[in-house]
Amino acid sequence: MNQAPQTNQSTAHLDPDKLSAFIDGELPPAEQQGIEQHLTTCHACTLRVLSATRLKGAIARAGQRFAPPPEALARLTAQLRSQTQAKPQLQVEAKRTARIYSMPSLRPAVWTALAATILLTVSLLGWRQLHQTNTLAAELLDQHLATLSTGAIPQVISTDRHTVKPWFQGRLPFSFNLPDTTALPPDTVLKGADLTYLNGQPAALLFFTIHKHEVSVFLTQRAARPTLTTLPSIRAGFTLQTATTPDLRIIAVSDVNPADLDLLVASLVHAQSPA
Amino acid sequence: MVNAQCLPVYALALLPRNLRLAEALRTMPSATTLSADFEQLALPLFASLYNHAFWLTRNQAEAEDLVQETFTKALRAFDTFESGTNFKAWIFRILRNTFLTTRAGIGASRTVFLEDHPDTFDTATVGATPEDILIRLDNQAALHTALEQLQPQLREALLLCDVEGIKYKDIALILDVPIGTVMSRISRARRTLRQILLPQFGESL
Repeated sequence: MNQAPQTNQSTAHLDPDKLSAFIDGELPPAEQQGIEQHLTTCHACTLRVLSATRLKGAIARAGQRFAPPPEALARLTAQLRSQTQAKPQLQVEAKRTARIYSMPSLRPAVWTALAATILLTVSLLGWRQLHQTNTLAAELLDQHLATLSTGAIPQVISTDRHTVKPWFQGRLPFSFNLPDTTALPPDTVLKGADLTYLNGQPAALLFFTIHKHEVSVFLTQRAARPTLTTLPSIRAGFTLQTATTPDLRIIAVSDVNPADLDLLVASLVHAQSPA
Repeated sequence: MVNAQCLPVYALALLPRNLRLAEALRTMPSATTLSADFEQLALPLFASLYNHAFWLTRNQAEAEDLVQETFTKALRAFDTFESGTNFKAWIFRILRNTFLTTRAGIGASRTVFLEDHPDTFDTATVGATPEDILIRLDNQAALHTALEQLQPQLREALLLCDVEGIKYKDIALILDVPIGTVMSRISRARRTLRQILLPQFGESL
């Protein structure tokens, strides 16, 4: 396709500044109408106008790029409030007097604003942690319930820890140890394993049975989510047992007797410690 | 201390100037109403001002400081704002003037910009059809890079127009330049963007 004649023609017809002002609706009405009329007969100029309009839209999207940090608005509002409260004092007093008295008068406002900000931050953090904790508990339970359905087949079906553990190599950004069959509590059997995601991070999902009760054990890296420390111990009739090692976070979910679940988690923790 | 409210009007003239002014301001219904009005107008613009401040400073902490200072100054000067005029343009002008007093702003203002430089981008779309440009516009990363490469003066005018939707006459106020300069900066910015975007994708598109 030969472009040159089209470009020459369009340049002659509509100069770039005019085209730019036209798409911004910044030309006087008469000039705007004149161009609109020209566009009805000039294919090249119409394409350029279309292209320029699309570019304008793309710039509008790309230019809206930097969002303020979530706490920035709270900081700003606190600052404005303290400024507002301090303002009348400063206005009434003469300059020298104001210099002497404005500091004590400013202090309560500043402290109030600071206290409000701290309170807001603390309650937000608390809410966030509670929210995350509840979300995590729900996620754990969902995944455990999914494994109970008959259609769910784990990627690794094996009772042998020497088969299960190597399967995770290269699939997880961390490693872990599995207890030997003899080190497991009585009537506790490893059934298989799967790779999953928990709270947005990769996790090893191990399947055990304790006295015919299904158990899901999630192993994640501990450092990735340091704030999540407390989970409810019971949710919807299922026990959630959490333990941590220097590197791992272990969460077990089951409807088995909590004491038996404790034993399994303890054996897993013990397996992580160097022999 | 003299209680100005108890004095007859003519006696106000005898009061020290500072006290008279302060009293006048205090008795106006505006002290808290003004700040409430200010917040109502200004706070919805926070995200826009921050975005623009970031483009100017290219730094998160500096952008936040710049916006905070802008709000402080704007609130202090809010009684000089003429209602009925464009508040957005007014506060963006304060933002820009505040930026120009910062170290980065002083550096930027020293950059010589040749407004009347002969147009070297005259046939910016030579070799590419408008359709080619359309395809490239889907690539946000390329657009971001292109915007970053744009001269700050051109980018500033373009963002005020396309992102903030501010009219040329108000952009002229914000940037303190004639309206013709605004028009040519925006036009030049768009042509430069096209020039930057074209070679990245070759002519095969």
